[in-house]
Amino acid sequence: MVTAEELAYGMERESVAKGPLEIFEGGGQVVTDRDDRQTVGEPFVDNPRVSARNVNVYYDEKHAIHDVSLDLGENEVLAMIGPSGCGKSTFLRCLNRMNDTVASCRVTGKINFDGEDINSPKIDVVPLRAQVGMVFQKPNPFPKSIYENIAFGARIHGLARHRYELDEIVEGSLQRAGLWDEVKDRLEQPGTGLSGGQQQRLCIARTIAVSPEVILMDEPCSALDPIATAKIEELIDELRKQFTIAIVTHSMQQAARVSQRTAYFHLGDLIEAGDTKTVFTTPRHRLTEDYITGRFG
Amino acid sequence: MQSTTLIVVLLALSAAGFYMGRRKAFQVSGNDIRTLNSLPSYYGYYTAMWCGIPALIVFSLWSMLDGRAIMAMATSSIADSGVSAQEMSLVYSEVLRFVSGSTIGEPQPHIVEAVARYRELQDTSNAALIVIVLSIAIAGTAFALGKIRRDQRVRNSVEAGVMVFLIACSTIAIFTTIGIVLSVLFESIRFFQKVSFTDFIFGLEWSPQTAIRSDQVGSTGAFGAIPLFAGTLLISFIAMVVAAPIGLMSAIYLAEYASARLRSYAKPLLEILAGIPTVVYGFFAALVVAPFFRNTGGLIGLDVSSESALAAGLVMGIMVIPFISSLSDDVITAVPQALRDGALGLGATQSETIRRVVIPAALPGIVGGMLLAVSRAIGETMIVVMAAGLSANLTANPLEAVTTVTVQIVTLLVGDQEFDSAKTLAAFALGLMLFLSTLVLNVIALHVVRKYREQYE
Ligand SMILES: Nc1ncnc2c1ncn2[C@@H]1O[C@H](COP(=O)(O)OP(=O)(O)O)[C@@H](O)[C@H]1O
Ligand SMILES: [Mg+2]
Repeated sequence: MVTAEELAYGMERESVAKGPLEIFEGGGQVVTDRDDRQTVGEPFVDNPRVSARNVNVYYDEKHAIHDVSLDLGENEVLAMIGPSGCGKSTFLRCLNRMNDTVASCRVTGKINFDGEDINSPKIDVVPLRAQVGMVFQKPNPFPKSIYENIAFGARIHGLARHRYELDEIVEGSLQRAGLWDEVKDRLEQPGTGLSGGQQQRLCIARTIAVSPEVILMDEPCSALDPIATAKIEELIDELRKQFTIAIVTHSMQQAARVSQRTAYFHLGDLIEAGDTKTVFTTPRHRLTEDYITGRFG
Repeated sequence: MQSTTLIVVLLALSAAGFYMGRRKAFQVSGNDIRTLNSLPSYYGYYTAMWCGIPALIVFSLWSMLDGRAIMAMATSSIADSGVSAQEMSLVYSEVLRFVSGSTIGEPQPHIVEAVARYRELQDTSNAALIVIVLSIAIAGTAFALGKIRRDQRVRNSVEAGVMVFLIACSTIAIFTTIGIVLSVLFESIRFFQKVSFTDFIFGLEWSPQTAIRSDQVGSTGAFGAIPLFAGTLLISFIAMVVAAPIGLMSAIYLAEYASARLRSYAKPLLEILAGIPTVVYGFFAALVVAPFFRNTGGLIGLDVSSESALAAGLVMGIMVIPFISSLSDDVITAVPQALRDGALGLGATQSETIRRVVIPAALPGIVGGMLLAVSRAIGETMIVVMAAGLSANLTANPLEAVTTVTVQIVTLLVGDQEFDSAKTLAAFALGLMLFLSTLVLNVIALHVVRKYREQYE
């Protein structure tokens, strides 16, 4: 049994040493043709929290996501990896309709959350985004106090009727984001004055404060140093107990460390999805293998 | 005419110097310009500078000083005959009149003599000027050409020359400003010798008519500036009440809601408002808006004066809308998209995002824009001259006529005035106060705007 870390670091040499994919023995199909773009592996799970079916995304004429079907399982961390520009962010942003804010963007297909298609006109994005929160690549605290940053969501959704309720929400969220001890004495100071890693945890706390069910993270550590990154990864592992998490990352080590399932995107196609260990040790698609062995991207 | 020719000749010589310097550089390099310290054209500029600049300096000093020197020499015999200084200045102006031929009649013999001498000296001076300037130019060129060697670091000399030139230009701008400020300051001090400073600053009555002859009845003049500043504030306040919300709202619409296409039409259209000459706004205010208010007021039984603070303030407000909207639009668009995404991602609606995140983040910049607009409104003259009236009422009623600092400055100085009466000097004192208040506003505004800029960089 190897740990995720060993897996991540040892992966490259190991799978090259193993040679071509023909030795794969887990059953199921193996795709050696790089031009074959159908999804292999296990994109679906038994009790999905979110399930996307045949999702296509267009930016004006540009077809950015091709017919992607993928599930997010309850209380799991799904990592999305792939070379940059392959559409990871675009797909992630479909899941809470953040693409609505891009005028040129058009999304088709079904994305089921709580038994309803979030793309249907009946759905109101305000409660949807409260339930499906988002953490961005660059920490983006509001230029307000730390307290007000966390209280923001609670205020706009009317979650607290009294000041003490608001205080509880703020303290609870900061505690769950592992930031409380660092900031409890300076809640009135601006959130923009924190370090990069603290800012990102503040943004996570801000998202948690509105009690979402799903948290989407778009490369949350790409602007952070290794120590701050380690803290966030720890936090993600902790949050998994209560939330369903989808994380985009450009670091395969990170994907191996924090996720249970991994999805590999390539030029707008979902190439392979499945159990993280399986995807990294015995990829079934030639393109996935190329990517995780460092031959591509 | 003659000096124009001389300058053209100098320029031509410099151009020739440029080519000679460049050619010399090629020669000393043995046709391999890589062995030169600088590019050949720098040697050209170097030569041209040595040719033109010393000659130009001598030329301008000469032209500045020669008139006075010639006059002194031409009239020296008259001065020696023991005439008082005052009479001498009469002699000077008479000689000048005859020299320029702008007078008729028979001059006195000593004047005729001085005029003849003056003409003679002037011809000599002109001839000398040409010779001296041209020889300096040629000497400079020769000097520069003589100094051209391979390792001559002309690039540095040329850069230094460029820097000196730029310093000279900015010095002119700065010294002009300082000169204006000082002259206003000194005239104001003269005013405060006639009217006490506290009477001016705290006086409640403004009627600047003073008796010209001591036996005239009536006004001794009252120079209390309070009514003027009150009028200015009232009108600026009305203007901001109109412009601040409209400007800010239209900026928010343009920055956050409008499609790129609409924005590309609407923004320039709004900015056209800033290009309308204020005199046009002025007669619009006086001929359209003010009568409209008077008539409407009459219909509902209000007594609206035909020149009202309301009309002037309203039109001035329309004038400053583009200031506010375009500055606010800039600061709102400068708020990073990431902040909007953060708020939207938490489920905030667009207007919540704007109200709770974008505007607070942009607020310092918006306030700065408003302050700039206020200082613009305070200094505005044309609209108030035409639409606000001249009567210095101390009132807060926008339906009455009021007057402003700028209007009073205009009326104090229009027409024939003695330049040392308290009435005229009052204009300088008012100007000084106006200058100080807009200066303070601008400093605060710029400070606020700069502070805001630092936040995201
Ligand atoms: N706002 C946009 N307008 C037009 N094209 C876009 C936009 N955002 C992304 N794209 C395009 O869609 C593709 C996928 O982008 P993205 O989802 O950002 O990739 P990733 O996050 O995997 O790097 C890219 O080719 C990108 O150029
Ligand atoms: Mg991305």
